[in-house]
Amino acid sequence: MSSATATKLPSANEPEPAPAPLADQIRPLILSLSVYHDGILRLKIDEDYDHSDPPCPKTRFQVPDVITPEFDSNKLWLQRLSTETLNDESSPSTVVYLSDGYDAVLRHDPFEIYVRDKQSGNQKLISLNSHQLFDFEQLRVKKEGEEDGENWEERFRGHTDTRPYGPQSISFDVSFYSAEFVSGIPERAMSLALKPTRGPGVEKDVEPYRLFNLDVFEYLSESPFGLYGSLPLMISHGKEGRSAGFLWLNAAEMQIDVLGDGWDAESGIDWVKQKRIDTFWMSEAGIVDAFFFVGPGPKEVVRQYTSVTGRPAMPQLFSIAYHQCRWNYRDEEDVENVDAKFDEHDIPYDVLWLDIDHTDGRRYFTWDSALFPQPEEMQKKLAEKGRHVVTIVDPHIKRDDSFRLHKEAAEKGYYVKDAGGKDFDGWCWPGSSSYLDMVNPEIRSWWGDKFSYENYVGSTPSLYIWNDMNEPSVFNGPEVSMPRDALHLGGIEHRELHNSYGYYFHMATSNGLLKRGGGNDRPFVLSRAFFPGSQRYGPVWTGDNTADWDHLRVSVPMILTLGLTGIPFSGADVGGYFGNPGPELLVRWYQLGAFYPFFRGHAHQDTKRREPWLFGEKNTRLIREAIRVRYMLLPYFYTLFREANTTGLPVMRPLWMEFPSDEATFSNDEAFMIGSSLLVQGIYTEGKKYASVYLPGKELWYDIRIGDAYKGGKTHKMDAAESVPALQRAGTIIPRKDRLRRSSTQMVKDPYTLVIAVNSSQAAEGELYMDDAPFSSSKSQFSSKSIIERIILLGYAPGPKNALIEPANQKVEVELGPLMLGGSRGSSVVTIRKPAVKVSDDWTIKIL
Amino acid sequence: MEVNVLFLLFSLLITIFSLISSTKSSSISILGVTPQDENYYQTETIKCRNGSKKFNRAQLNDDFCDCPDGTDEPGTSACPHGKFYCVNVGHLPVSLHSSKVNDGICDCCDGSDEYDGEVKCPNACWEAGKVTRHKLKKKIDIYKEGVTIRKREVERAKQAIAKDKEELLKLKNNEKSLKGLVKKLKAHKEQIEKVEEKERLVKEKEEMMKMAVDGKSDDEQKESSSSTTLDSESNGPSDEPSVDQKDEYENTEGMPTDGSESTEGLLREELGRHVASRWTGEKTEHQVEEVSPNKYNHGDNNEIPESTGDKDHENSDDANHVRKDYEDSTTRLSDIQERIASLTEKLKQDFGMEKEFYFFYDQCFETKQDKYVYKVCPYKDASQEEGYRKTRLGQWEKFENSYGSMLFSNGDGCWNGPGRSLKVKLRCGLKTELTDVNEPSRCEYVALMSTPIHCLEGKLEELERKLESMRSEQLQGGHDEL
Repeated sequence: MSSATATKLPSANEPEPAPAPLADQIRPLILSLSVYHDGILRLKIDEDYDHSDPPCPKTRFQVPDVITPEFDSNKLWLQRLSTETLNDESSPSTVVYLSDGYDAVLRHDPFEIYVRDKQSGNQKLISLNSHQLFDFEQLRVKKEGEEDGENWEERFRGHTDTRPYGPQSISFDVSFYSAEFVSGIPERAMSLALKPTRGPGVEKDVEPYRLFNLDVFEYLSESPFGLYGSLPLMISHGKEGRSAGFLWLNAAEMQIDVLGDGWDAESGIDWVKQKRIDTFWMSEAGIVDAFFFVGPGPKEVVRQYTSVTGRPAMPQLFSIAYHQCRWNYRDEEDVENVDAKFDEHDIPYDVLWLDIDHTDGRRYFTWDSALFPQPEEMQKKLAEKGRHVVTIVDPHIKRDDSFRLHKEAAEKGYYVKDAGGKDFDGWCWPGSSSYLDMVNPEIRSWWGDKFSYENYVGSTPSLYIWNDMNEPSVFNGPEVSMPRDALHLGGIEHRELHNSYGYYFHMATSNGLLKRGGGNDRPFVLSRAFFPGSQRYGPVWTGDNTADWDHLRVSVPMILTLGLTGIPFSGADVGGYFGNPGPELLVRWYQLGAFYPFFRGHAHQDTKRREPWLFGEKNTRLIREAIRVRYMLLPYFYTLFREANTTGLPVMRPLWMEFPSDEATFSNDEAFMIGSSLLVQGIYTEGKKYASVYLPGKELWYDIRIGDAYKGGKTHKMDAAESVPALQRAGTIIPRKDRLRRSSTQMVKDPYTLVIAVNSSQAAEGELYMDDAPFSSSKSQFSSKSIIERIILLGYAPGPKNALIEPANQKVEVELGPLMLGGSRGSSVVTIRKPAVKVSDDWTIKIL
Repeated sequence: MEVNVLFLLFSLLITIFSLISSTKSSSISILGVTPQDENYYQTETIKCRNGSKKFNRAQLNDDFCDCPDGTDEPGTSACPHGKFYCVNVGHLPVSLHSSKVNDGICDCCDGSDEYDGEVKCPNACWEAGKVTRHKLKKKIDIYKEGVTIRKREVERAKQAIAKDKEELLKLKNNEKSLKGLVKKLKAHKEQIEKVEEKERLVKEKEEMMKMAVDGKSDDEQKESSSSTTLDSESNGPSDEPSVDQKDEYENTEGMPTDGSESTEGLLREELGRHVASRWTGEKTEHQVEEVSPNKYNHGDNNEIPESTGDKDHENSDDANHVRKDYEDSTTRLSDIQERIASLTEKLKQDFGMEKEFYFFYDQCFETKQDKYVYKVCPYKDASQEEGYRKTRLGQWEKFENSYGSMLFSNGDGCWNGPGRSLKVKLRCGLKTELTDVNEPSRCEYVALMSTPIHCLEGKLEELERKLESMRSEQLQGGHDEL
């Protein structure tokens, strides 16, 4: 029962009586509203299992293990409840305190729930069922003599979906007020702002946005079609910098319409004329478990959302550096050669990846003994250079009785069952395969144990994991996935949990690695499928993209959307997975990809080799520079990942997250912020030497390579011949490590450089986070011997010759130096030479 | 006890070493600088090499990057893209990227790149040098023998080519005289045939008259000829492509892929394989079967004309004799012409600067790897065979890399990509053999072939010089060659 209020509703809001065969089955529903700390309202609607006649044939699926236990303890038990009759309405409403400045209102008849903002004269912020589109199809059992029909069975391209409980979908409308656009609900390859799918001016054949995790072959670069992951969180944003969010925690197939202005005659005649975006949500099964987030800004919405589904995991340093992948690095010799070439060309990298063909016949946790006879030795050699290996482990298990994992899983009954109750048998990489029932915590725990060094023969502490194909992908299944009538733990139909399957698999793998390391080693597990909560278990990537310019372009709104919906650690395959990128595209992709939170080069087995040194001296140099910039900025990135870990804020952000009321940023999908200090503009067309870059805000911006200053609030033409524009915002400090190393591991003890860009009031601030991972032990206090070797001042007039360090009372030189070592521009920026102060001490430096 | 003794010996060695290196270097050498460059650093004020800046001696190797090009920090990691020189007494000197200085990993065998005390790098140059020298000596031995074999081959090739040319000349002369003979015989033959034709026409007229009386038609004959046409047609349509599958690849791009469009007839397992093949490009069994049959159709068709000669009319012995002479001479002429063409074709090839690859022309080389047999026929083609299944890896294109590798291109097509290709890299070895075949990129193969033809004299001299310089380093280091 809820803290605030509960009420019984008629099951459907249809104006006319329901048709006869249904009417006698109508049962009451339970609605509950709860209020949580930080302005979060939760609405739940489900069947009333205790008082139903006829009895409900089964419990509808509620997604377990997504909401964090801490969130539940944030529930407010305030009884600030009042009943009012608002405006000139005929029926009363119940008003509940939500947070300072916000109320939740439940209008009784017709039923509507909304959040109102006191500051704006009690205007609505976000509402549900304002258009009375609420519908809830209740579970049924087929009666004798009742005809077959779509309600009980559907045939689709040779597959048959049986529906033993009849149709069970739920739908309702949600409205966002004072909103210019809505975004969120990944994953799809398209713009950040969601275009209307229905309404005047929208073509008839446009389909609603679909959330249904699928392995889509060669997806298009501009398409609303739903891809590998599903995250039913929508965020609105408006002119005054106002944001609000709505989450429907439901793992069945979902379809969402964004309704354009004038979609409905009534929508124009609201008594308060307020800019509004209406949306229509429909799910195939499950219950209503919805969350309203009040904001007020986009950053607060993400914070509120991640307080429900969990803060992103803190990654290890190596995992935010550069990753080198290919399907497949063929054998140990190939691995050794690629590794040696990186050193030869002085290009750093941290992780070498092995795709499916490193295994013995695609039996995961095994090695092809001809190609990888000494996997431990191979990992050891890489580990000596501070490098790591990632191997792939997918959820389909080869049905082969001589494969122990399969035998054990089959004997224990751990596989998902088909509608007939037998182990589901589908086709994937190894051929005939079965799929573990990951919604079951017991099976997850058993799976996690498979990652121990003892069980995973040939694994070492420098080995981490990649979970692919976890939508799940089933080559001979409907839409290349699992049949909806397949059965999980306790009779849960696959249709009810489909979108969460990959999430539970990711969770089980990540927890397995955590256990392997005795709780001290932060796991690294990359997943392709995702769901709310995935951010707690590791990064995701945007799947099998293609080597063309449009895919490069669309990677930015895709990653930004993931960040907005709580998954800060994501990236696209650099170079494009399918096809062969030309050298220019590859270089541009590295230059942009160096700013992706997850930075990995990857390629399909049919493509030509494309390691960074294969395209001539000039391109090798440009790619090396791109990767070097990422390594220089690792301290900044690591600090941002820590911020994400504590607040949920994305690492890569849309400009409007930092400049919420600057309308010029609302439709800008080409540029983005890294944290709050750095703006990056990608280059997405061939042959470009210049870029036009819009810089928001009133302060100056500094080119991070040569230090040139540009005014904010304007669009500038910038040189982009050899790099993509990247600018530091005045008023910020960016920590760097300028020494090039072969991997991030060797950089740990290297000294820092601080780049201080002062603003118009000669001030700047910044943060630096460091820790002793992966060797963290709670016993001893962490301290660092690291020093600062260089402080660069941007926006500070040259002149001074000395600076005084206090309390050491030591003089150091001030001179003109380069902003970036090895760069094209000479010495032009004010540099404090060798202050050698410890980052862990308190100190002051006075410029004399 | 034994362990202790060993340990003592070892530490003693190190002491000697460090004594030597410190007495040698302390006076002049600057950390990380090559001996040739040491003079550059002798002045009090030093210029950055790119001219951007000047720095003083105190700033040299002070672990702060003053010159953007790294001139001032040859011995530290402070500047990106700098170079660190390790002397490696007893082995070969090496220039490292400065990113490897004091990074906790021993790169120079003398350990000089790690001096900040975080990690101890034992001096391994002596041992490593010994191994390297040993390997180098072995290599030189092979080269020496290889160079001799190569010289012999070049000599043999020269003679063989001369012989070929001689033969060609002779053949051309023969051709000339045969052509004359054939011409003569032809004229004679035509004369005889004219007479015969006349006789035949007369005979035919007589027969026509006779037939008109009998009223017989030639229906039977027609019937039999139409049945042969049917037969030959039935051989034809086997190479019709399977339209369904091709269409699918084109239609499904970026669409919600389900894998079952127009594949409803497939079994579930076939469907799985079929959808998997989109990612892998592997042919499903259906497709494989289509490829083979139409290649082997040729033989049947060629045989037909031979059986259709009619030997109805009578011939005089003389006519037959002329005809036979003519036929024999024509055959001989075409044989000679064929031989001329093949010799000319052969002599047109690029056999290398000294014609050293001449004997590669008529040879093929094979190696078996896993289930595949790789076959390389220089100047012709290369293939990969698995049982009866043959994949062409490419046709001969050319030598590359100044006769260092052979290139075969335009092999069988690859899904989603161009035709297969093979690059055969040549190595010096005493026998000509194909060793290693790899596929580093999909459908781009690389093979290694060892052959005395690649044992070049210049390379041998280079190796000898290298060994010589290692030996002199060794002497400086004060060690006897063991």
